[in-house]
Amino acid sequence: MEHANRPHNATEGVAPFIFTEEALAECRTIIGRYPADHSKSAMLPLLHIAQTENKGWLSVPAMDAVAKLLQIQYIEVYEVATFYSMYNLHPMGKHVLEVCHTVPCMLRGADDVVAHIEKRLGIKPGGTTEDGLFSLKTVECLGSCGTAPMLQCGAKYHEHLTPEKVDDLIEKLRMQPERDNYTDR
Amino acid sequence: MSRKLLLEHIDKPGIRGLEAYRANGGYRSVEKALKSMSPEAVLEEVKKSGLRGRGGAGFPTGMKWSFLAKPEGVPRYLVVNADESEPGTFKDRYLMEKIPHLLIEGIIPSCFAMGANTSYIYIRGEYFYVARILEQAIAEAYAAGWLGKNILGSGFDLDVHVHTGAGAYICGEETALLESLEGKRGNPRIKPPFPAVKGLYGRPTVVNNVETICAVVPIVNDGGEEYAKIGVGRSTGTKLISAGGHINKPGVYEIELGVPVEEFLNSDEYCGGVSGGRPLKACIPGGSSVPILPAELLFRTAKFETRLMTYESLSDGGFQTGSMLGSGGFYVFNDTACIVRSTWNHSRFYHHESCGQCSPCREGTGWMEKILYRFEHGLARTDDIDLLWDVQRRIEGNTICPFGDAAAWPVAAAIRHFRDEFEYHATHPTKVKDPKHFEKEPMKRVERSYAG
Repeated sequence: MEHANRPHNATEGVAPFIFTEEALAECRTIIGRYPADHSKSAMLPLLHIAQTENKGWLSVPAMDAVAKLLQIQYIEVYEVATFYSMYNLHPMGKHVLEVCHTVPCMLRGADDVVAHIEKRLGIKPGGTTEDGLFSLKTVECLGSCGTAPMLQCGAKYHEHLTPEKVDDLIEKLRMQPERDNYTDR
Repeated sequence: MSRKLLLEHIDKPGIRGLEAYRANGGYRSVEKALKSMSPEAVLEEVKKSGLRGRGGAGFPTGMKWSFLAKPEGVPRYLVVNADESEPGTFKDRYLMEKIPHLLIEGIIPSCFAMGANTSYIYIRGEYFYVARILEQAIAEAYAAGWLGKNILGSGFDLDVHVHTGAGAYICGEETALLESLEGKRGNPRIKPPFPAVKGLYGRPTVVNNVETICAVVPIVNDGGEEYAKIGVGRSTGTKLISAGGHINKPGVYEIELGVPVEEFLNSDEYCGGVSGGRPLKACIPGGSSVPILPAELLFRTAKFETRLMTYESLSDGGFQTGSMLGSGGFYVFNDTACIVRSTWNHSRFYHHESCGQCSPCREGTGWMEKILYRFEHGLARTDDIDLLWDVQRRIEGNTICPFGDAAAWPVAAAIRHFRDEFEYHATHPTKVKDPKHFEKEPMKRVERSYAG
């Protein structure tokens, strides 16, 4: 569904994607962990790197670059990228707030956290603020049930949330120049 | 005080690093196994220990290892399942984050027993920072000679790699995990062939949970028989329980299998009782996939025996009046929780996470979510309960992997034990439109009799 013809899925007129030398070196290290005839195994970690390099989402050129690096068909990358929920297939805000809303978190007040962020940022889950700074997502269990309610932003877990803690976090992120990525590159 | 085998040193300063870990007796099992034992002897100790898979299914680990095919000249693999995604479970993250060398230590005698020279730790993508901690620990282990070529001069080589996933619950199923590790969509494979014969890259593979591999360390150190002395019957050893929900002290606890459920929930050593001083309503003792138990079945079985934290006792009574130990994700509901709402939440989870291969699961999970949405939002009729029952019944057993069962069981158990709550939702549409309906006014619960 995500890859119907939409502006962000165009292959022409979109920013081309080229791995930086540094990223390429990391990709090669990862590929080296798998048997030579099974380098496709590196797909998931490589897509994480590509996503980080591409401002937090996978454009068609970014996925194509991964396919070329692994010497596989483009479709083999597309079918994987559309399967896993950590790959964003459209542009995201600079800081993506992913609030866990599965039962153990729900029992400890996750719905209130989501409602508070919605009110604070004026967006619904799946939305991005107009200034492009924040996206809000509700996600399924992140394995932090003992420290619920919680949210993930990039690779960091923010736990034992209260409305005050959420406000502090939002203010801190507003001032933070770098993007939060899943990888620490 | 329960004996601690895995968490004994967890609070020691610097235990994340190799130096402190070694100073607290770390890597003794590697010395013992590689210097004084044969691979068969290690396998024998694991068999004697009665260790059962800690990921959820509870399959005897020694037996799983003994099924491993050993064709000449074909590499074998140990894949560690660190894709912990069962709602309510967070023990593996705790282990890997706090004491990463324990997992690496466990991998070494395990691979030695299997004759595997490569091991992959498949960790869920969200645990990125934990993956970094593991990578750091692996680098330390290589530098100190615990990994790599000719470990301790034994002639045994071992490489360990961390592989990050990307957010798919289904990849916790072992064959889906292998597909994912091969760089594909996480679609479970039809079994047989089992991974022990055709696993990663079509080669013999054992997939074990993080906690299972960690438990190999005390088994090799103290012997399988010593490990089997802990516990009750076929539930031997210690188990990590992730406790959450409406309790006073959420966290990870190591218990000797056989602790009474009542003690686990109410004692200050563990959960510290139900939070808010409210009455207990229900509990899910083994992660979201296992049937929910109402309060009156949690401490005592239908036969009025004390319910213990063991594989057997928790499943006593089958699905009619029992549940399962599963992955040990123990979460508690007090009387302000709404069972319909949490069942809807679970179904939404399963709908979101279904890989979409088998129609009963792909379609059924969606229908269950929609019907449960209607209940929770005051749009359902009483006869929708039977419709929901019908849908879940047609998923169970009709899918390639156990995900379908895992999606159906929580719904079936909720209807079985809390039918009155579903009826309430159908007959009080305006009341239940408020998402906090039971928080404001808990529903009066009539204790049911399950005797006979």
